[in-house]
Amino acid sequence: MKECALYAPMLGAHPGELSTDEEARLNAHLAFCDACQGRLADLSATEGMLAEALSRAAARRDFTDFADGVMARIPASAWRTGAPEKAGGLRSLKAFLGRHKVLAVVSAVAPALAAAALFLFVERSGGPEPASPGVEVTSETLSPVVLDTSDGPVILMSDSEGT
Amino acid sequence: MGCGKLPQAAVNFPAPAASFTMEVDDLALVEKARAGDAEAFRALVVRYQRKVFAVALGIVKDPDLAWDVAQDSFVRAHQHLSGFKGESAFSTWLFRIATHIAIDAVRRERASKKDDLEDVDEAALEEGADGILATSLGSNPQQTVLRKELQEKMTEALAELPPAHRTILVLREVEGLSYEELSEQLGIPKGTVMSRLFHARKKMQARLRAYAGLVPRPGRSTGEEGAGS
Repeated sequence: MKECALYAPMLGAHPGELSTDEEARLNAHLAFCDACQGRLADLSATEGMLAEALSRAAARRDFTDFADGVMARIPASAWRTGAPEKAGGLRSLKAFLGRHKVLAVVSAVAPALAAAALFLFVERSGGPEPASPGVEVTSETLSPVVLDTSDGPVILMSDSEGT
Repeated sequence: MGCGKLPQAAVNFPAPAASFTMEVDDLALVEKARAGDAEAFRALVVRYQRKVFAVALGIVKDPDLAWDVAQDSFVRAHQHLSGFKGESAFSTWLFRIATHIAIDAVRRERASKKDDLEDVDEAALEEGADGILATSLGSNPQQTVLRKELQEKMTEALAELPPAHRTILVLREVEGLSYEELSEQLGIPKGTVMSRLFHARKKMQARLRAYAGLVPRPGRSTGEEGAGS
């Protein structure tokens, strides 16, 4: 067990990290130590699991606005003038809409819904009243004449006193 | 007590491989960002945001704090871009910044206590459950249901460890730092690196065994909450 306290920490070393002497002594110890063989086997069995687990945890996170957050914290004077600001603004909008998908969908659909509602309203109310053939137009100085035409009634205004 | 010698390959874990193409591309983006190209820097942020967040999450354990730490890391990286010499990969340099900020955040969160967790005494070796995880996970660990279940519990188990142990586990197993790099970054000798790693793994494995129902759940550790160093 005392030897294990010396050699167990050497388990899991990468190539070249132990001196030749350390490696030889470790292998000699491993040849007869069941416990250290078990430790080594556990190390090998769990190799890479931590990196994979953290990578998965990171993959579950939404990074849509991460880069924008970083770029916003860097002074504009650090960049060449021009494009970045404009591109950044567009990206910011995209990022915002990406984060607020419901709002984006509503914004896109709202004009179409409004147009459809207006159309339905006009359809149901029958549209503007056509000029009635029986309409009466009076004036003190003008004498209206209503003509029925194929396009509907046409009102002609004429000066009765002038004729 | 004798047993067969384990294959040498099993003794040493392979170090994470870096992508050459990615690094070349990183350097090009760094150069452009230095010259004031905001889009180039944004590309670096998007490329590494999840990994920096993962590193921060492993150390500070609170997702919202990890988010702040990750954003701080990129802002700080931008501030010091001129100091990046390209001697290491940009990602290594960036993760180092993230680690420092995460450790500082943990220090601010908790009153600092002396880290007395380094000595490997015999009591630490007497749990007697070594090898149970390997046996349960089987010879093809990628495909076992238990492994997937344990992976889901991994961040929870990590969060229960003292900050110093969380930090060194993340630096080693997520960032892939060598003993030498760990020693430099944490300011502790190589021997302390090895023993701290041993204890951290030991505690993590104990919790995983408990989650898997292989052994009784360990009690919450007492007096072991030291700040990462």
